[in-house]
Formats: sequence, structure tokens, C-alpha cells
Amino acid sequence: MTAVVLDGVVKRFGDFTAVDGLSFSVPEGGVFGFLGGNGAGKTTSVRMMLDILRPDSGSIAILGRAPSRANAPQLGFLPEERGLYRLMTVTDTVVYFGRLKGMTAADAVRSAGALIERLGLSQWARTTIDKLSKGMSQKVQLAAALVNAPRLLILDEPFSGLDPVNQGVLEEIVLEMARGGSTVIFSTHVMQHAERLSDRLLLLAHGRKVFEGTQAEARAQLPPRLRLTARADPAQLPGVASAVAAGMAENGWREWDVTLAPGRAPADLLQHCTASGFALRSFDLYRPSLHDVFLHLVGGGGR
Amino acid sequence: MNRILLVARRDFLQIVSTRAFKITLLIVPLMLGLVSLGNALLRPPSTVAFVMADPGGRVAPVIAHRVELDYQRQVMRDLSDYAARWKLPPPIGDQAGYRTDDAAVERFIAQGGAGGALARMHPPAGAGAFKLPPPPYLRVAVPADVPVDRGAEAFGRAIAPYLANDIETEQGKRPLAVAVYIPARGPLRLWSNGRNDNGLIDTIQQERTRLLRMALLTANGVSSAAAAQIEKLEAPVAVSAPPAGSGRSQLMVRSFVPLALAYLLLTAVLITGGMMLQGVIEERSNRLLEAVLACVEPREFMVGKLVGLGAVGLTIVAAWIGCALLAAFFIDGAIANYLQPSLAALNQPWMIPVLAFYFFCGYLMLAMLYLTIGSLSNSMQDAQAYLMPVTMAVLLPVMLMVSAIIRNPSGLLPRVMSWIPLYTPFAMLARLGSGVTLVEILGTGLLLAIFVSLELLLLGRVFRASLLNTGQPPKLGAFLKLMLDR
Repeated sequence: MTAVVLDGVVKRFGDFTAVDGLSFSVPEGGVFGFLGGNGAGKTTSVRMMLDILRPDSGSIAILGRAPSRANAPQLGFLPEERGLYRLMTVTDTVVYFGRLKGMTAADAVRSAGALIERLGLSQWARTTIDKLSKGMSQKVQLAAALVNAPRLLILDEPFSGLDPVNQGVLEEIVLEMARGGSTVIFSTHVMQHAERLSDRLLLLAHGRKVFEGTQAEARAQLPPRLRLTARADPAQLPGVASAVAAGMAENGWREWDVTLAPGRAPADLLQHCTASGFALRSFDLYRPSLHDVFLHLVGGGGR
Repeated sequence: MNRILLVARRDFLQIVSTRAFKITLLIVPLMLGLVSLGNALLRPPSTVAFVMADPGGRVAPVIAHRVELDYQRQVMRDLSDYAARWKLPPPIGDQAGYRTDDAAVERFIAQGGAGGALARMHPPAGAGAFKLPPPPYLRVAVPADVPVDRGAEAFGRAIAPYLANDIETEQGKRPLAVAVYIPARGPLRLWSNGRNDNGLIDTIQQERTRLLRMALLTANGVSSAAAAQIEKLEAPVAVSAPPAGSGRSQLMVRSFVPLALAYLLLTAVLITGGMMLQGVIEERSNRLLEAVLACVEPREFMVGKLVGLGAVGLTIVAAWIGCALLAAFFIDGAIANYLQPSLAALNQPWMIPVLAFYFFCGYLMLAMLYLTIGSLSNSMQDAQAYLMPVTMAVLLPVMLMVSAIIRNPSGLLPRVMSWIPLYTPFAMLARLGSGVTLVEILGTGLLLAIFVSLELLLLGRVFRASLLNTGQPPKLGAFLKLMLDR
């Protein structure tokens, strides 16, 4: 079953098209990265999934149903713009959101207590939000998103504003949710988080899908790059698109940055060098990062 | 619990837990209590003392009798008011309590004064006790060390220190306001304590004049009996007063509760409207709406806020009304005197639901305005730009109208404003006590209900569209477009 399906979704604000014919699907279970630069249409798409905004055209299915508040008991949502009721206590806040999602008072209190303890907030359970630090407030908001143990957890830029320790805590929670069978969709423009967490990802630019697939498929979008140490210029080798000298020659050996032609495998090149007696001292495969993929697919204008 | 009630409950609990709310709740009863207490403790006693030295012994008893007659006349008037409020027979067996001649007052005194009249009136158990008005003037004996037989100048010198202080009377110490010396011949001498008490001085002068006229008449050959008759002569005036239970004073009594409700509506809306505004602006500026709106429809959120803040307003109103009822039924005083008969006047079965309808619609109509302003504003500063004209548009005409209603509830202005939905709740609430036609109630009620429904629909669209908007509040054109966008 798919957790989320968007089919040809368009959303305009006046003359500005925020989301332009977006189609993708998120399989149930696992972590799905929703990547894109600022203004790429991530938040608008998330708001449409939650029925906060309605698309101008196209269709959306969330856990097999149209977006509506009826889905709230199965959804968790951490918005990009964080805020809480300043005069509510930590416990009351988490319980309030649990109840808004259809939990009974007793279940909401029980679940809130467990989460508050898990996130290290027990000491502040009866403290009002205005007395908490920003980091602690963000944990409270995360607890509010998780209180109903959602089947689908949507996190909009969840790591912004968190210190490295709390980023680690959040990553752990995300992975744990996914291991437990939940689907986690998180939007970010920080590729390292997506790299560490997401099984599949979607890349957006200017409201349009640029890429959808696994991380390996994303990296395959870039031509393979190698660093060779050779006596001769590798540019003439079969499958090599370009070779640039990376340093000064030393005893006749020189380092070369080599880019293969699209579709050519590094293993084929190595086999050819061995068979033809092309002298090699090192053969290092350079693994492109999602950052590289992003820059390659979106370019500087996507940010 | 459904989501509307959850939103309402949260808003209600958050506001009632604040110190500002508790102060608001207590401020009116506290102020009323303090004013009453201050009045009771600090108000100078209304009764003042006077002394009269009359070596001849003929004039002083006449003046003292006049002072007593005037006081008893006042008692009769108060008793007449009391009888009218509680639908009792008049104190002297006719309806002339407001304009009584000396003979009637003499008869009243002869029949036992207030005590005798009350015994004849048989006030019911629920009626408040009649409170005798304090006598304005109490005659006290000339102090022993003040000579009365050594002329006016000696009397004046000796009495001067007493005029600067209080003097012992049968009711305790009271200021000595006036000292009178009545010589056998020549002008009557009067010393006052500086606070001109013209009432007593006029009375003394009138009595003295009357005696002089009588003396002149008898000196000119008119018999004493005829002279007295001439002096007592008054042009006959037939006074037609409205029957008990009607007339202007009764109109005011009946209008007291509806008028108070109109003011309460205005006050409650202004207070809770401000809270509502602040709440929505906080939610918008805190960026917490998105998380809430993921669980709650904007319409549910709006209705929840109206219900929650409405409950806050009703709590304030209920607390104030509770205090007023407490004052009406357990504490004697001016409030009780007005409230008890005014509440008793709400005896028509339709009155309470009609009052409640106008109050509810008025609250809803203005609360929605505040809520919309909150949804359009990023800060209280933004909100002020909308708030000021809206508040003025409501407040000034309402204040003008209420004073017009007090003058004449059926005047053109109140009648016209009753049909303008923005002012209907105030106009109709304020006029209900004075008698409005069924057509007016049904017509204005229907118009108001339609207006409030349309307002909720159109401003609800603005509220929904503006909740997550950032940037500058919309201009008029954009605002109208938001209202019409489905």
C-alpha cells in the first residue's frame, strides 16, 4: 500500500505557481526525503497533504483517502514554523494535540507522559512553555506530533534550529518510527540529513519534480568520477569523458580526476587497464554525495 | 469531546487562568463595593442641626413646626414611591403623595406618620423594607453658655464657636449649620457655618414673612381666622399622575435590567474582544496555527474560539450579574431599591428569551468582528488600524442612542437604530423595558439573525484565508475578494 500519492497536483497563489503538476508516491514504511531548495514547493505540498491548502488541480491520497481532518488520528505533523501556546504546560500541550487527533483523555495523558520522559522533559512536565529554552520547546512540539503514534509522520524541516545532540535524538526517533512500520516523510534542504535517513527521496525545484527514487538511483544520475594515479594520460582510454591532471608528476606518476561517459562502469575501465597493461598505481572511485546530485540536477538556481 | 469544544475549552481555560481575567472579574463588584463603602463612610451626614433663640417665644415653634411638616411631606413622597414600586395602596388613602398640602401632611402625622401608613399598606413579604429618609434639619436646644436674653450680638458671638464644630443631637453629633436669633422687634438674625444651607434659611424666611403678613392683615382689620385663611390660600391644581405601575419612574424601573444588559453586552464584548484579538494574533505570530490546522478545520477553529471566548464573556457577565443579584436581595441600598422592582418587572414570559436572543446575537456579531481583525493582523499594532474605526463605529452611536433611549425610548433615533443590525441588540435591549411592539421584536430579530449568519459566512471566509497568511494585511479590495471567494 502507498502512504501518499500525488497525481498532477498544481497549486497557484495568484500569478505564482508554487507546485506545478507534481506526481509522486511514497510507499508505506520507511523514510522518504522531500528535498528541495527554499521556495521549491515543499511546504505547500505538505500543507496540501494535510488539507490545510487545497490543490487547484490534481489529486492527493493519504493512506488511501483524500486529505482531510479525518486522517488526523493517523497523522503526525511537525511544521517548519514552530510555535506553541506560551501559557500551557508541557503536558497540557502534548495532551491537547493528542485530543485534537481524536485520542481519549486517558490515552493522550498516558502517551504524553511516556513521550515527555523519552525526550528528557519530565522535569519540566508542569512548566509552561514560555519558561522553556528553544530546544526544549522544539522537543515538546515533536512530542505533540508523535503523541498519537502516527502511521504517517510528516516533518517539515525538522532539523532546523536543533543542536547536533538533539538532531541525533530526532534522527534516532525517525529511524525507530520507520522500523516500527510507520512512514516518515521529511522535507529538508540539508542533504546530509536526507543522506543519513532516507530510503527514497524526491527532489523538487520550482514546484516541479526533478527526481524520485532511491539514493543509489540518485547518485547514478551523475557520471561516475574516479581518481587515478597513472604514468600516461587516461583521456584516451575507452569510456573516459574527460581526464584532468590533479597534481604535479612525481617519478613519472601523476594523479588524474577522471569522469566517465554516462552509462560506462568504472569496473569496465579497470578491466581494460589491466588487460591492456595501462600502468596504474591507484584507482579510487569517487562516490557522489546527494549534495552533488542536487547541484547537478537543480543547479544553483534551485536554492 | 469534539474539536470545537476542545478549542473552546483550551481558550477558556487559558484566559480564566490569567491574572488579568481575575482582575476583570472582580473589578466591577469591587469598584461598586468600594464606592458604596466610601459613600457610606466618607459622605458627610445629610442631617444638620440648627438652634433658634426666640426670647418672645412666638416665632420659633412656628418655624419648627414648618420644618417638621416639610420633613413629613418628604416621608410621604418616599412612601408614595415605595407604594408605587410594590403596588401598594397610597400612604394617605389617595394618590396625592407627590403634591400634598399642609392639611394632608397634618392628617398623615395624626394617623401615625410612616409607621401608621405602613401598617395600613400591608407590604408583602418579598417587598424591601421601607427606609425612613433622614430628617434634613434637627433642632437642638441653645447651648447653656450662649445667652439668649442679651441681644443678637451677644448671642452671635457666643454661638460662633459652636458653628465651627459638631453639636450633640438626638441622632449623635451633627454639624451645627444655622443659628437663628429672633428679636421681639427688628430683623431676624441668622448665622451659618459657611456651608450655605439655603433650604433651611428659605424656610425660616418664608415662615417669618408669613407671620408678618398675618400681623399686617390683622393690623388692618382682618380677623385672625380670615388672615390665617388668606395665608393658607393656594391656587387649586389638579394633578393627574399615571396609575401605579406605569409612568416615567416606573418606565425607568422596568428599563433598568434591559439597559444594564445593553451596557453589559458592550463591556463584555470590549473586554473579551480584546482578549480574542490578542489570542489570535499570538497564535499567528507564534506560528503554531499550522500544527493546529492539521488537526482542526478552520471553521471548527473559528467556532471553537467564538464559543470559548463567548464562555469567557458570559462568565464575566454572570459574575457581575451574580454580584448585582446578591446586592439586590441581600444588601439594602440604592442598588436593591432599583434592582428588585426591575427584576420583578420582567414578568412577561417572552422577556427572558428575547433578552437572551439579542444579547447572544450582539455578542456573536461583535466577537466575529474582533476575530476577523485578529486573523488579519500580525501584531496588536496592525490590529489597532482596524480596531479603532470598528470600535468607534459601534461605541459612539450606541452611547448616543442609549442616552436618547433614556430620554424617550420611542423616539425616532432609537426606533431607526433598532433596524440597523449593528445596533439592533443594543437598541432593542435598551428599549425592551419601555414596551416595544411584537412587529419590532420579530422584524429586528429576523433581520439581526440574517445579518449575523451572513457575517459569519463572509467573515469566516476571510478568517480561513487569512490564518496562515503572512505579510501586510489586505487592502479593502483584497478583503472584499476574500469575503466573496468560496
